[in-house]
Amino acid sequence: MQKTRTGLTPGLIAIVGFLTVCPVVMLILGSFSEGLGAFGTFTLSKYVKAYTDPAFAEIIVNTVIFTIGSALVATILALFLAYLNTRTNIPFKFMFRIISLIPMMVPHILFAVSWVLLLNPSNGMINLFFRQFFGWEGAALNIYTLQGMILVEGLLDLPIAYLVIAPAMSAFDVALEESSKVCGASNLRTLVRITLPVLRPAILAAATLVIVRSLASFAVPSVIGMPGRIYVLATHIYRVVATGYVTDYGMAAAVGMSALAASITLIFLYRHLTREGEKYVTISSRGYRPSVVDLKGARYPFFGIVALLSFVLIVLPVLVLFYTSVVPYSMVPSVKAFAMMSWKHWIAVLKDPVSLLSLKNSLYLGVGGATLGIILSFFVAYVIVKVRSKASGFLESLSFLSFSFPGIVVGIGFMWFFVQTPLYATIWALLIGYIATYLPYGIRPLTSAFVQIHSHLEESSRVCGGGPLYTMRRIVIPLLVPGIVSGWILMATMFVRELSLSVVLSRPGTEVLAVQILRFAEDGLWGRLSALGIIMIFISTALVVSASWIGVRLTKGEK
Amino acid sequence: MEISIKGLNKNYYSEGKTIKALDQVDLTIPANRIFTLLGPSGCGKTTLLRCIVGLEMPDSGEIAIGDEVVFSTEKGIYVPPDRRGLGMVFQTYAIWPHMNVFDNVAYPLQTRGERKEVIIEKVAKTLHFVQLDGFEKRPATKLSGGQQQRVALARALVAEPKVILFDEPLSNLDAKLREETRKELRAFLTELKITAVYVTHDRIEALSLSDTVAVMKSGRIIELGTPWEIYFDSDRRFVADFIGRANFIEGKVSISEDSFTLIDSAIGVIACEKKTKAAPGAAVIVCIRPEFIRVLKGDHKVGRNIFRGRVESLVFVGDAYEGEIRVGETLLIFRIEPTTAVREGEEIALHFDPRHCSILLN
Repeated sequence: MQKTRTGLTPGLIAIVGFLTVCPVVMLILGSFSEGLGAFGTFTLSKYVKAYTDPAFAEIIVNTVIFTIGSALVATILALFLAYLNTRTNIPFKFMFRIISLIPMMVPHILFAVSWVLLLNPSNGMINLFFRQFFGWEGAALNIYTLQGMILVEGLLDLPIAYLVIAPAMSAFDVALEESSKVCGASNLRTLVRITLPVLRPAILAAATLVIVRSLASFAVPSVIGMPGRIYVLATHIYRVVATGYVTDYGMAAAVGMSALAASITLIFLYRHLTREGEKYVTISSRGYRPSVVDLKGARYPFFGIVALLSFVLIVLPVLVLFYTSVVPYSMVPSVKAFAMMSWKHWIAVLKDPVSLLSLKNSLYLGVGGATLGIILSFFVAYVIVKVRSKASGFLESLSFLSFSFPGIVVGIGFMWFFVQTPLYATIWALLIGYIATYLPYGIRPLTSAFVQIHSHLEESSRVCGGGPLYTMRRIVIPLLVPGIVSGWILMATMFVRELSLSVVLSRPGTEVLAVQILRFAEDGLWGRLSALGIIMIFISTALVVSASWIGVRLTKGEK
Repeated sequence: MEISIKGLNKNYYSEGKTIKALDQVDLTIPANRIFTLLGPSGCGKTTLLRCIVGLEMPDSGEIAIGDEVVFSTEKGIYVPPDRRGLGMVFQTYAIWPHMNVFDNVAYPLQTRGERKEVIIEKVAKTLHFVQLDGFEKRPATKLSGGQQQRVALARALVAEPKVILFDEPLSNLDAKLREETRKELRAFLTELKITAVYVTHDRIEALSLSDTVAVMKSGRIIELGTPWEIYFDSDRRFVADFIGRANFIEGKVSISEDSFTLIDSAIGVIACEKKTKAAPGAAVIVCIRPEFIRVLKGDHKVGRNIFRGRVESLVFVGDAYEGEIRVGETLLIFRIEPTTAVREGEEIALHFDPRHCSILLN
């Protein structure tokens, strides 16, 4: 036992270390090299070229506006929703759970596409509607703007911000507010002087996390930003390696370094803020409930806002995509449109060999990658929680290092590595890259599952006469199943929709769904895109449902 | 069933230091009695319990439960915990959250492969014993702390083990519930006539529950006896101090009479009824518990074991006054009836009961 443990920790450190450090090291090396494939002599020329580009200043400005704007939209909405859910008597509170969880099933690229389909200046449905019924010339609304990007990205990151703010809000000690009111402060003064300052670490943490996310975001900048010629760091890197005649991976690496540095700094800030937040928020053992604000007549209007938001977040994208997949070209829903509906685009997609290949690859990566990823996460979580040595502490920091590294930057780093190996342009390259980037998503739920299993739970089974295997089967595994299932679901859905890493690593033969959808978007094949998109949502949903079902079976099956 | 432990050693290594958790422990735990291991945290009491139950492997020594040797370095025997047939209640109760009350309690029987009808009958019987009738289908984690504790007890008892072990089972309960549960536990164990080994750092638990108490310090058992003996007759300062509040007065043996030993101390000559092995002239410590210091009203009392002092502080704690009296340079703690009229700053006479002045070896 002791021997396997001592072998396990260094082994895992080697694997996780390779997965997280390799792309960073290769990125650094690459940024000082002459060209992909041959490192050549040490050179600073890529940095000079990247940072003296006259367009670069504008890209930085765009990136800053885009990320901070998205953070504002997402955080303010999340604050509003969290307050309604935890502190008021708004009806149908189950809606909030849906809002915070379901959007994970609609891939970001499809969400962005559905907004393009609604609001693009030439044939966006809403613009067509204005033109047709009000006779407006040109486009009433244009999604291909920085504001459009901010709105869509903000909505996409809303669940993340909500998941950070809501727990802090519900753990808030109402006595703090009450004592302020006793001291003679008005409601507004209490809100400004007490409530918001106490929640400040959580609010800032949520905003920081959204900034990191939107910095790494590729779907919105590529689908909405690029047609409007609005470039941010991620799309700028993409432009350098994927478009134009000469691809320059050295320059991409040099640009990537600043994106990487920014996200690492922000993640440290985030960690600091969450620690700060734990210091502030007092969770009393008394188990009191925060006092509820009676919204009175405003209950239903407020609920209307929440319902509208969930409609926009969940129902609308699916509706728009499905509608687009069955009409021949972009048109406002009408009798004529319904008459012209056909399965034309679906048949085209199902006959398209590249689409089918991408479907197969994504399914394989989703199921196989999540399974491998969760096995690795299982051991890492075991070492982090149960071994508890200096080495396991190191493993913990190592395994969370890659959290929210911009996918496209990690992709560039891996590209420099894979070119040297036979893995280049194989599905294994994608698999390794996926697991490296999304490992924290598997480790998180498993560590909390392991933490839950106090050693006494195992020990008491032993004393009760259960042997080691019996204990494993009846106690340890059943208690771990929820963690394993949620980790697997999270990884599998992430892998099926993966875009930002794939746009760099995917080559002819290793196309994946999201990349294929991006190609359709670039070619303006909206009908086929929508058909493939619906299939993609269906696959994600099927994975979630079947994994949960298996989880339930496993937990019950132990009797 | 008797438990005999011979020459047990266990070391821990942490940050380059060796900590002796068990240091050559020899102990016989009598059958069908409640035996308590008492000591401050880190004294090795939990380690000893875990060695008996088999969750911890001693470095050397031998443990036998009844006639069966379950651990011996000499004979190369180690019986794993699941083969020792014991019952244990953990500090955290270790109630399995994914099972209901029935499954938790039935578990030891299921591991032994008992028939279903037998299991149902025995579980019902045991739940009745711990007064949890009809709780079978409840999810175990939804119960209150006291109820969870009884589920843990039921689980430990259901397979009719030879020995039941308790690892600080009351420390997670609040004060009032702890007192109730302590009384219940005492009643349960007395009724069962089972060998029980109980680990605690709480002296009141140890005194009120046990037939025998073993006090541990730094991996050794330093005192063994009935609660009465431990409380009144210990000749170690550590034990006397740990088991209750006490005054310690340094002095020298002056005369050893037949019924009294006279000790010269800073506050005067103290007469102790207890005998001492110490020869005249030897340095000793007199231990007197605060409840055996009596306050005498009136001015001119003189006599054996009567001292004069000034009341430095006085706190009303409900059932008594607790306070400090300064006698010369020595500060003594005392405890008197709440009805006694004593005021802070008052000069009073006090009397030590010679039957309760123990002499500790320095």
